Amino acid sequence: MKKIVYLDNAATTPVDPAVLEEMRPYFSEQFANPMTYAHSSLGDTAHTAVEEARKRVASLINARPEQVIFTGGGTESDNWILKGVLERASRERLHKPGHLVTAEFEHHAILHSALALERQGYEVTFVKVGRNGIVDPDDVRRAMRPTTVLVSIMHANNEIGTIQPIAQIARIAHERGALMHTDAVQTTAHIPVDVEAMGVDFLSISAHKFNGPKGVGAAFVRDHESLYPFVDGGGQEWGLRGSTHNVPGIVGMGRAAQLGRERLTSEMKRLTALRSALFEKLASRIDRLTMNGDAQQRLPQNLNIRIDGIDNEALLLAMNEAGIIAAGGSACTAQETVPSHVLTSIGCDVKEAKASIRLSLGLVTTNEDIDYAADVIPGLVRFLRSMA
Amino acid sequence: MDKYSRATIREFMSPSNIGSIENPSGVGHITDNADAVELTVYISVEGGRIADMKYRIAGCTALIATLSVLSREVLGMTVEDAFALDMAYVSRLLDGLPESKWRCAGYALQALQMAISDYRSRAQ
Repeated sequence: MKKIVYLDNAATTPVDPAVLEEMRPYFSEQFANPMTYAHSSLGDTAHTAVEEARKRVASLINARPEQVIFTGGGTESDNWILKGVLERASRERLHKPGHLVTAEFEHHAILHSALALERQGYEVTFVKVGRNGIVDPDDVRRAMRPTTVLVSIMHANNEIGTIQPIAQIARIAHERGALMHTDAVQTTAHIPVDVEAMGVDFLSISAHKFNGPKGVGAAFVRDHESLYPFVDGGGQEWGLRGSTHNVPGIVGMGRAAQLGRERLTSEMKRLTALRSALFEKLASRIDRLTMNGDAQQRLPQNLNIRIDGIDNEALLLAMNEAGIIAAGGSACTAQETVPSHVLTSIGCDVKEAKASIRLSLGLVTTNEDIDYAADVIPGLVRFLRSMA
Repeated sequence: MDKYSRATIREFMSPSNIGSIENPSGVGHITDNADAVELTVYISVEGGRIADMKYRIAGCTALIATLSVLSREVLGMTVEDAFALDMAYVSRLLDGLPESKWRCAGYALQALQMAISDYRSRAQ
């Protein structure tokens, strides 16, 4: 088999074998519906497994177990929190359409939810982002209105990896009587995520971004009374999220959270070193190469670079031919030829945005992978530049 | 999902006829910042037929592959026939180019048409 160097871990990660092992019995042997636990020993086993997973996820983010609500993924958590909070606060407290503050460079799960809310008559302010890829808390302060019910700023950006001052922004939100949400899909199990230290009321998580399975996520909800349900159904998750529990997925997410917590410090250190080595080698071998986004306030596993004079689609395809898998914008926009909205939001022009690639490392990334990428990419850049 | 054919990838990874022509019969140049494209097509024409085509390109995969396959296809063609080529024709040469890429790849045909127009204006 051809060598594959996978540097697209921000798009998704492989399921850890230990996670898969823990999930396995919950497909065919321990298949029961956890909601039947009161009268069924099988149901009780499934229910116990779900609650154990909830404790593990809660422990990862320093929450109480009942504040962790399992969902179908990060996108669902984002949709639910934005729509559920805006709708409830507007109807029950303001008695008129409320206002949401978010940022221009959010993931589309947030941006498109915000646009959907706008279509329904709610008001939204999209705060601009600095050239370094960091939201200025003062810009959030200026965007606040008496009707602002929620501020939603991502913990770290999915394309450029820049980490946002969430605790500061949460204080501003609370001073003005608004609630605070952060999309922590890119950060959970990668850097410390502590709902108390950040002071957030809501937080979104996705299991497949930290070596758990796809199709399962969670929402941290500080107060169950602060939002309406999004998926109405049979009363699961305190009536906040209907639908029979995805037991194997939830069990897998719990195990991945536990492993992520154990590995957090060592992986942060290892990936920071690998990422720095990759950047230094590429920068010394390729001229006119720039890092997009702040170099310090960024996720250990993220490297986003601009290589002047190349088209990222062409470079990514050439890299793929050489067995290196990376990304242009995010995976969610990979089929579009439009430039990344994240890069244009931090002031890149279209040409700069289309000359940028994201290399995202993960648990499976080795020293050899980094050496291979650092050896191969410069030659591909020379190949593309030689045509111009 | 729009996916490139192997033929497109092959053309892109080993493109034919990159370069320029000294004393060309016609030149077509396109710069489009919105699409991050910069492209120059050179042709030499002998007896009303295209004898050579070369190009310099900074652009996407589809455009590079299109130029490569086009630079071979047009050899010996009358300038009228070359001018009339369209993306449906080019797409067949590449075993099918996703339609979402036709607009950007179309710069290859536009630049070729500009080079032919340049040749015609010089010939007058």
